[in-house]
Amino acid sequence: MDNKKSEKDLEVSSRRNFFKKTAVMSAAALAGTTLSASEDDHAIIHHPKWGQTWGDPITKNLYGVPSKYEHNVTRRYTKLLASGNYRASIAVTPIHESEGIITPNGLFFSRSHGGVAHVDPNEFRLMIHGMMKKPIVLTLDQLKRYPSVTRTHFIECPANGGQEWRAPQFNSLQFSKGFMSCAQWTGVYIKTILKDLGLDMEQAKWMLAEGSDNSEMGRTLPIDKVLDDAMIVWGQNGEALRPEQGYPVRLLVPGWEGNLCVKWLKRLEFSNEPWYAKEETSKYTALKPSGKAIQHFYANEVNSTVVKPSPEKPWTDLKAGDVVEIEGLAWSGMGTITKVDLSFDGGNNYVEASLKGLVLPKCWTRWSYLYTIPKDFRHNGKQMILTSRAMDDAGYIQPTVQQEVDVMGVESVYHRNGVESWEVNEKGEVNHVQIRKV
Amino acid sequence: MFKLEKSKLLISASAVSLAALFAAGCMGNAAPSNTSYATAGDIAGGVVYPIKNGQTGPYAVNEKALDNSVYQGRVPTANELKAWDKDIQAGGVGLPEGEGSVEEGEEIYESKCVMCHGDFGSGGGGYPSLSKGPAAEGQATLTNNRWKDPEADGPSRYFGSYWPEASTMWWYIKDGMPHPKSKTLTDNEVYALTAYMLAINELSVGDVNVGEDDEFVLSKDNFKDIIMPNKDGFEPKVHGKDGLNNVRKYFAVPENFGAIKVKEDERCMTNCQDTDNIVRVANGGISDFHPPMSVERSMPKENHGMAVTTKKDPVATYKANCSMCHDSYLAPGSSEWAAYTGKGMDKVYANAIAGTPGGMPAKGGSSLSDSDFKLVVNYIVSGKVK
Repeated sequence: MDNKKSEKDLEVSSRRNFFKKTAVMSAAALAGTTLSASEDDHAIIHHPKWGQTWGDPITKNLYGVPSKYEHNVTRRYTKLLASGNYRASIAVTPIHESEGIITPNGLFFSRSHGGVAHVDPNEFRLMIHGMMKKPIVLTLDQLKRYPSVTRTHFIECPANGGQEWRAPQFNSLQFSKGFMSCAQWTGVYIKTILKDLGLDMEQAKWMLAEGSDNSEMGRTLPIDKVLDDAMIVWGQNGEALRPEQGYPVRLLVPGWEGNLCVKWLKRLEFSNEPWYAKEETSKYTALKPSGKAIQHFYANEVNSTVVKPSPEKPWTDLKAGDVVEIEGLAWSGMGTITKVDLSFDGGNNYVEASLKGLVLPKCWTRWSYLYTIPKDFRHNGKQMILTSRAMDDAGYIQPTVQQEVDVMGVESVYHRNGVESWEVNEKGEVNHVQIRKV
Repeated sequence: MFKLEKSKLLISASAVSLAALFAAGCMGNAAPSNTSYATAGDIAGGVVYPIKNGQTGPYAVNEKALDNSVYQGRVPTANELKAWDKDIQAGGVGLPEGEGSVEEGEEIYESKCVMCHGDFGSGGGGYPSLSKGPAAEGQATLTNNRWKDPEADGPSRYFGSYWPEASTMWWYIKDGMPHPKSKTLTDNEVYALTAYMLAINELSVGDVNVGEDDEFVLSKDNFKDIIMPNKDGFEPKVHGKDGLNNVRKYFAVPENFGAIKVKEDERCMTNCQDTDNIVRVANGGISDFHPPMSVERSMPKENHGMAVTTKKDPVATYKANCSMCHDSYLAPGSSEWAAYTGKGMDKVYANAIAGTPGGMPAKGGSSLSDSDFKLVVNYIVSGKVK
């Protein structure tokens, strides 16, 4: 807790690091100039075939697709989470391959409760009614006439990491933390539409959002959020929503449970009482050791993980003395990321990492730490365990695994945000671990 | 006419009432400049970024877009409202006229639900259990926690033991069931199925234990008398006139939901853990990933640059489309098939291709041609690939 002292230590150590790094780099530079490669690189010596023949005409792939070599960068699913013939199920995002803070639309995690609906935009209608003077029906074109806003927000399934309350289960970053993605959304604030409808502010306390899909997925929102930043969105990263994301229109509830962001939206109704829809009682409730469960558990709390390295993309090609960037993501549905700290001993001691790029509210935030690989990936004599810990501007900090389960127990399924740890073994392989008493 | 000022009032009022609950200085003093607009007051315990001086957080805003009226659309007709406003609220508010008995419900269940939800709602086949025993017994398990005793049974969460409201069941059956062919049940059928759910969970309506009364009839009139044992098993209380305030108060206390607040310059940087026990993924963990995990950027050689093969054999289609239900019901080669094949394979093919009222989707939800799907049917019936 003696933070001033530790900051001073950090300064000294970073100065030392600077000299050390300079020394390493000069040695490497020297080596580069004197050492001749034993063999010529075929990739340099010979013309590649793509450089000697016509490429594709511009008439091909008028809607572009990724390079065929990127075929392993894909959503993935597991039978463990295959409920309802894969129609009440999830496919998760390869965040070990993610760059920056935007998830490409084709890789955005996909979750549905009755399959991915394919809504005909010509037959799309949005009905808004209940406790208002002037209920309304909108076509898609009419909805898009409202003044729009564009915001970059993550959407996270509150069960992200929820399989790992009792112990780590997945030796995979994609499955441990990939129940989330981040995109730039375009739509209209609900409050902008409500302005003209004469909502009874004394009576209207809750809003039901209902989908038009096979499961008619519905959730209740409190009026506070409706009048703050809740949006009805049709644009995702500059194009229409994908069917998996609720084409043509979904709700976007910035920072809150992904399940609240109702897809294939058809209806908003206001009432003085909440609804008790299936996905806000039977599921998406967090059971505590007392036997009571938290309902209406809205915000995804402050969270983070190391992204590079990962079990999928380890450090097996690196050796002692190599300088590498440790990179990660931090996010909070409560506000904006302010600090990310990184530990090399599983969360016992921390140094501060740098945030990088745009730092936006309720949005993925990239962080970075430059590091010189130690011998055998051992840190202070022990096998290195990378642990990140984020803070947000609401003042929250991620709990340790132990702190979180001491309060929540291990049966609550949802909203797990204890720190994530990744052990690097002597070969540079990365394994998912947790530091906890049992 | 709804006035924006009023909504601003409402938001700022809740912010003021919350301000007292927030520890002073919890915002820290070194927040990046683009978050300096953040103020406490989000109902879920976070901050909000009020729109002020053309800005919300780091985003510029055209405030005129918020102040001017931009009315589009039209008022819905009475019939349109009736067609879509079909939700059911707590206590059965919104239920239509109708009724159904436990016996009728069991009959419908056996023909339309059992293939996914199992005998007496026991689950299996990838669909949830609808009952795991008498509701009261299940509710008593909700304090079970495998953290304190890893060998113990976990909590048993199902309709009778966990759900606070029976209205949720009626509403979901009506809107979402049968899962492959939803919104095909009549109101009376939904009453009957809900009555059957009450029976297999041994729930009571008034002083009648429905589990002991096959002739019990559930209707719009007696729905409100259903007793759900775990009605008070949830926090914060969202119902009633204090509902919203209860939520605001609950999430203003981090300890309620396992969260921690700390000032930035007081966060722990050294000796932060009271344990160094490492728990690793046991036995390699779950690795049943599809497609299999790989970060290779080479093309599979045998396919001459094609990433995946699209041709489907019957077994692959079975595994992808049919196994979830059929592994536990009319499994490949099962003797249960005799009851169906006796009427001739043409009837079996026709049902498989068109789908059945019992919930079997057309061609199992695959996009195969009729003749290709018949090969899948042959496999499921015989258990062999011919």
